[in-house]
Amino acid sequence: MDVMIQSILNGMLMGCIYALIALGLSLIFGVMNVVNFAHGNFVMLSMYFTFWVGTLYKIDAVLSPLITFPLLFLFGILVYYGLISRTLREHYTIQIAVTVGLMTFLGAITQLIWQARPRALAYSFVQGTIQFGSYTIALSRLISAIISLIIIMVISFFLARTWPGRAIRATSDDSSAASLMGIDFQKTYALAFGLGSGLTAIAGGLLMTFQQVDPTMGLRFGLLSFCILALAGLGSIAGLVISGLIVGISESLAMSFWDPRARTLVIYLIFILVLWLRPRGLFGRK
Amino acid sequence: MNVFKKTNIGKLLIIFLIIFALFIPFILGSNQYQVLLATTVLLYGVMATSWNIIGGLAGQLDFAAFAYLGLGAYTSGTLLIRFNLTPWIGMILGGVIAAGFALLIGIPLFRFRIKEVWYALTTSALVEILKVSFNMWEEVGGPVERCLPYFSGSLLHMRFTSYIPYYYMMFAMLIIALFLNQRIASSKLGYYLKALGEDESAAEVLGVDTQTTKLKALLCYSFLIGMTGGIYANMYGYIHPSFFNGQETTKIAILGIVGGRGITYGPLLAALLLVGAQEYLRASLGGEFSGLYLLIYAIILIIVVLFKPRGIATFVQDAYKKIITGEVKNKDVV
Repeated sequence: MDVMIQSILNGMLMGCIYALIALGLSLIFGVMNVVNFAHGNFVMLSMYFTFWVGTLYKIDAVLSPLITFPLLFLFGILVYYGLISRTLREHYTIQIAVTVGLMTFLGAITQLIWQARPRALAYSFVQGTIQFGSYTIALSRLISAIISLIIIMVISFFLARTWPGRAIRATSDDSSAASLMGIDFQKTYALAFGLGSGLTAIAGGLLMTFQQVDPTMGLRFGLLSFCILALAGLGSIAGLVISGLIVGISESLAMSFWDPRARTLVIYLIFILVLWLRPRGLFGRK
Repeated sequence: MNVFKKTNIGKLLIIFLIIFALFIPFILGSNQYQVLLATTVLLYGVMATSWNIIGGLAGQLDFAAFAYLGLGAYTSGTLLIRFNLTPWIGMILGGVIAAGFALLIGIPLFRFRIKEVWYALTTSALVEILKVSFNMWEEVGGPVERCLPYFSGSLLHMRFTSYIPYYYMMFAMLIIALFLNQRIASSKLGYYLKALGEDESAAEVLGVDTQTTKLKALLCYSFLIGMTGGIYANMYGYIHPSFFNGQETTKIAILGIVGGRGITYGPLLAALLLVGAQEYLRASLGGEFSGLYLLIYAIILIIVVLFKPRGIATFVQDAYKKIITGEVKNKDVV
């Protein structure tokens, strides 16, 4: 029982970060109906950037998004104008193919630059553990989960209350009506893409406080965030957080009670089952 | 000038290419490694050509090629190891198992109308699911590779000491895959597939049973690749969960798209150029630049998608048309 509660706790903390990663994907998919296959590799890239910033300038992983967020935001906008906007009107195979190309490109280039061995940073200043009765929680995971939730709330405030956020929501509801209202859809798409990829910078920084990075991680984070997106459906940020928690908890339970190798298996099985049984997700409105 | 009639140019070219391909092992014969590389190029040719049925004609972006290859390899390999069943039969059973698995996945997928990006995601998850499952399934798979018996070679058990027989078997598979592709493309099924590949709801309105049609394409594709898996296991002489390779499975789709979706020889052309160049570079540079080949694939895919979305085979089509029209003009002059 103790092991169970402990792994549920760990899973919940990871789930918050997963939800943050999936939020970026969901923003992009919701607005322009493009699934960015390279999203997992964006996470991996920002983890490597965090590693770089951390080793070159001795900046702590928690603070590194101050540098990596603008980098990834810019990268996202460049990707949008260079690749995505040129294929928006094409057959969907081409739309997917261009992001698959990007995914392969990022995977290959990280393999060339940083080689296949895993990289990790020196200890972050949020170290240590907290005891809750008989349960132990790593402080770095707790702080990461809290920061993730705060960022998710900031984004949902941004979407609900600010003008660019409303433009994003309007475009995702009906892009032609939105452009008739004077919203430049190219700029809105670019903003959404930049924001979606910028969010991975924050997630990457948080993950680096307690994890290492290697070039095979991209695929795992990619499928993981697709799974959360499929679970949550579109349009509900609370649903996204709950789905993130579900995925995090089931992954953690599978690792402690079944087999450590089964962690990805469980996520993929949930993904396929959800697609079969509830194609709109548990909380989707579209 | 009868030889240069319109249709003959294509046929002559095909016959010339077949003869050339048949002689390659004799040219490379002294160097087994190079024969293996040539066979690898053919393997990707077979897989990309089979992919063309589901990915090109039916327009379903499928990333599960190596899932079916691995299933075929495991079926034929395990039957040989455990029951001493000859891979000549095991290979066909491998195709059947792969197609059966495809059916199991395909029926609910198409029934629940999972398409486009969700189909692509599901199929790329399949490879990972099988990889992890076979890693955990100790009776058949497990993390340790299992070697096939008969190291000294046995025709009955499809084990040879040279790679040359495997080259010819792979070549035969390629011919079968190309033939099937051509037959499907010019049949009623092919027209249905092309219609739903362009616009699924429009095809449905016109009375195409999209579920059954897609399922047929999926079955052809998975059966061909499952059979190839039998040869693959015997060629390498072992079976291992790393056969379910996530990176390589993406490559198959890349080859199909770069070559030209729906053009019979397109994926083969891309495989000959890209995989040929990759294996040549690997032989001359060594294995240390493994990320480099992937980088080249990615860059070529992005360039093709942005500037030539119908694939590089359209260059050949254009050239062929130019030759034919040139011939016509010549005739007019005469």
